Amino acid sequence: MKKYDVMVIGSGFAGMAAALFAARRGLSVVQAGATGGIDFSTGFIDLLAVHPIAEQKVWEDPFAALAALRRDLPAHPFCRVSDGEIRLALEEFTSFLGEHGLCYRGREGKNTLTLTAAGTMKPTYLLPCTAWSGVEAWEAKAPALLVDFYGLKGLSARQIAEVRGDWPGLRTARVRFPGMGGELYPEHMAWSMADPARREELSKTVAPLAADVQYIGFPAILGMTDTGAVLSHMQELLGKKVFEIPTLPPSIAGPRLRAAFDRGLPPLGVRTCTQKLITRAVCSDEGFQFTAGSGSTSVELFAHSAILASGRFFGKGLKADRHSIREAVFDLPVTQPENRSLWHRPGFFDPRGHEVNQAGIETDNLLRPLDADGQPFHPRLRAAGAILAHQDWMRMKCGAGLAIATAYKAVISL
Amino acid sequence: MDFFSIGLALACLSAVCGTILRVRKWFTRGKAMAGSTHHGPRSLRWAAGLADLILLRRTRGGLRRRGHALLILGFLPLLFLHAMDGVVTRPLFAAYEPTLDPWQFLRNLFGLVSLAGLALLLWNRTARLRPLSAAQDWALLAVVGGILVSGFFLESLKIMSEADFTRMADDYFPEAESGELLALKAYWAAENGARFSVFLPTAPEMLEQGAELHEDRCAGCHSPTSSAFVSRSMAALPLSPAMADRGRAAFWYLHVGLAFLGLSLLPWGKFLHPLSTGANLLVRGGSRNSQAQNPPPARGLGLDACTRCGQCSLHCSVAPIHTVMGNADILPMDKLSDLRRHLDARLSPVETGILAEGSHICTECLRCTEFCSAGIDLQDLWMTSKQMLSKAGRAGVDGEIRKSTAGEWAREFASGRLGAIGGTGAGLADQAESFWGCVQCTTCTGVCPVVAVSEDPSRDLDLTPQQIMNLLRMGLKSQTLGARMVWSCATCYKCQEHCPQDVPVADILYELRQLGAEVLREKEGRS
Repeated sequence: MKKYDVMVIGSGFAGMAAALFAARRGLSVVQAGATGGIDFSTGFIDLLAVHPIAEQKVWEDPFAALAALRRDLPAHPFCRVSDGEIRLALEEFTSFLGEHGLCYRGREGKNTLTLTAAGTMKPTYLLPCTAWSGVEAWEAKAPALLVDFYGLKGLSARQIAEVRGDWPGLRTARVRFPGMGGELYPEHMAWSMADPARREELSKTVAPLAADVQYIGFPAILGMTDTGAVLSHMQELLGKKVFEIPTLPPSIAGPRLRAAFDRGLPPLGVRTCTQKLITRAVCSDEGFQFTAGSGSTSVELFAHSAILASGRFFGKGLKADRHSIREAVFDLPVTQPENRSLWHRPGFFDPRGHEVNQAGIETDNLLRPLDADGQPFHPRLRAAGAILAHQDWMRMKCGAGLAIATAYKAVISL
Repeated sequence: MDFFSIGLALACLSAVCGTILRVRKWFTRGKAMAGSTHHGPRSLRWAAGLADLILLRRTRGGLRRRGHALLILGFLPLLFLHAMDGVVTRPLFAAYEPTLDPWQFLRNLFGLVSLAGLALLLWNRTARLRPLSAAQDWALLAVVGGILVSGFFLESLKIMSEADFTRMADDYFPEAESGELLALKAYWAAENGARFSVFLPTAPEMLEQGAELHEDRCAGCHSPTSSAFVSRSMAALPLSPAMADRGRAAFWYLHVGLAFLGLSLLPWGKFLHPLSTGANLLVRGGSRNSQAQNPPPARGLGLDACTRCGQCSLHCSVAPIHTVMGNADILPMDKLSDLRRHLDARLSPVETGILAEGSHICTECLRCTEFCSAGIDLQDLWMTSKQMLSKAGRAGVDGEIRKSTAGEWAREFASGRLGAIGGTGAGLADQAESFWGCVQCTTCTGVCPVVAVSEDPSRDLDLTPQQIMNLLRMGLKSQTLGARMVWSCATCYKCQEHCPQDVPVADILYELRQLGAEVLREKEGRS
């Protein structure tokens, strides 16, 4: 059996980032995890936008927000990483994505408001370049056309226009997507846009409707692995600035990220055990013996170190039953409400969020998970991402940033 | 008219008439195989076909190949030089006598070589092909083996036989005095293994006189029996002269009778394969690919060229399905035999259903065609016969299901006329746990390549994968069974691999198809 330096458990933002950072630092890496979770990403890389959540205070400067957060919430995982480490992590992560066809853009030290499928403006730190013209258009309130498609459920241009009363220059149009009918699915549309002929057909449909606008927005379907080229070809064909808005999850943004890592990690020497959850873990002084997957396709793996980036409930890192929450791989102690009746508040949209969304595992400053006595569970085990306790990444708008930053810290502290 | 003439005439009649009937079927069956027809003349590569035939280039497996090589090298000379000596050997070689060398020696050599080859083939069939073997496979081995073994016994008993000696002496040494006859007998008993009921002297001068008489009277037609090295060594068997005489007569009938039986059975089943397989190899001209446009007689010949060697069935890509379902017509060898019966209108409706099911499970992967040692263009036969069966209303479960809409099937399933659907009710599609985690996120549909190639999924496929999962978790299984998505699934497993909630989407779709197949079997009365 081959021995690895690091086993990365998880294939979401944190797992992908940890595998990338570890491989870039010359470590031999094996990664396991389900492929499904990251498919639900919007593609936006949030850093921190809302704090405190009960007040729903939105920050323009995420680093100022971080300073406030570290002051108010000493248990928050962002207290384990410095601003410098966060900047380095995001830089390394987005430059890797850029090398694999996913260009990212943002404003140094500033959150940017970007359009969502619901028509709301979401503060985020870095966003795909394909969405950037949408930001410019909204900020300038420039005349723009928002296109949606018959049969595509994930985005309604009219919904967006109605919510965006502050943008009178925004018009909408619904068109037939060339070559497809009935119910449409973003991944199929995106793949079909790889064909330049399909782009020409689409632009011919849209061009007559867009004579008097400067910007044209589409649901995110502009290509799968070559979005930059598809976008610039569409701009050329239409003679306007073109942008994308991610559709409701699962949008194409997630599969694009997954595809970029599928392309980029193996050349760095990362062995990926796709669609295999860790089903057994045995710890020893030398390291960790893992079984990935189950049945005839399971594999045995040994690693000297491990990074637990298995996510919360959707990622299967935490398992909830009728009474309590358990950690799935090492059965680490999980910080959680005393009983199930305290998991959720009575109001689903309560601005304070729900206690269960702060559940997770405790770590020390080096992100080493702690056992029941508060001691490091294993000297070479680290944790990163959503599985960490005392953070509600959804409401704080810090999901990807927290995952990438803690993955970076976990790797460099090994 | 004696036994020999009548037997020979009957055997020849059976062989000739039967072969004519078989060859006629090459044309009638070939014509019955409708479908793509022959376009233009085909260039035949005789040399490659001839090389396949002579060098046994397609005969796979060491045992089979060596066995066949030995059997052919031994049996063909026996057939022409020994069995047909009256029309071949005697006219060609003026001094021919079966009891002279080299003929006597060669007969034993060829017989032994044949037997060795036959033993390898028997070993091969017993060790590797027993589950695939039928009566005719064992019958052919038994008849050929019987001819060879009875021949050795016949020769050894002839060597021993006193009656034969007496008959020969009466014919060729009628003037012998009793002393001379005694000396000759003594010589034959000592040197050639003959057995006599009288006590014979062993004095050297008697034997010397016997040797002189032998040289004078017998040696012109008799080489020493020791050159018949197999039969002569069998002449050491402990038999009384009377038993040897009776046995000699019995084995003559046995040997000649088995030879006639073999000849008359030539047009029966695989007994023809030495001819039909050879012809097919020549016609195929060395090709291991499918021609797809074979003219009808070539198709008919291919149908008839099977040697039942079992290689196709052993290497069939869908053999595991046969293991599970037990339908013999999934495996190429049995399917070919039932296809012939179908073309001859000898299959019952239920058997035709079995043939159709087996045919439609075939994935046309070409493996059987590549492996066929008879060089049969099986791929062409399967593709054509599938079309033929579909046209005759036997479109297989996939085709039958597509004849009605999902809604029509749902009504039929709900009517209860087809019995309880779902068998035990313990399948993946019946268990709530299968869909526990489903959040209807559409990932399965989004990654599905079958949905992707459809211009309008609801028009082409009725339901998408996530819609099927949703109906199933609501207990509406009958609504899903006829959905064309289920029947168009390529089982690529992308849906299942990408499902964030571990729903076994592809396994469930596959299970629904199994169920559909069960329903069709029930409808056709095959369950």
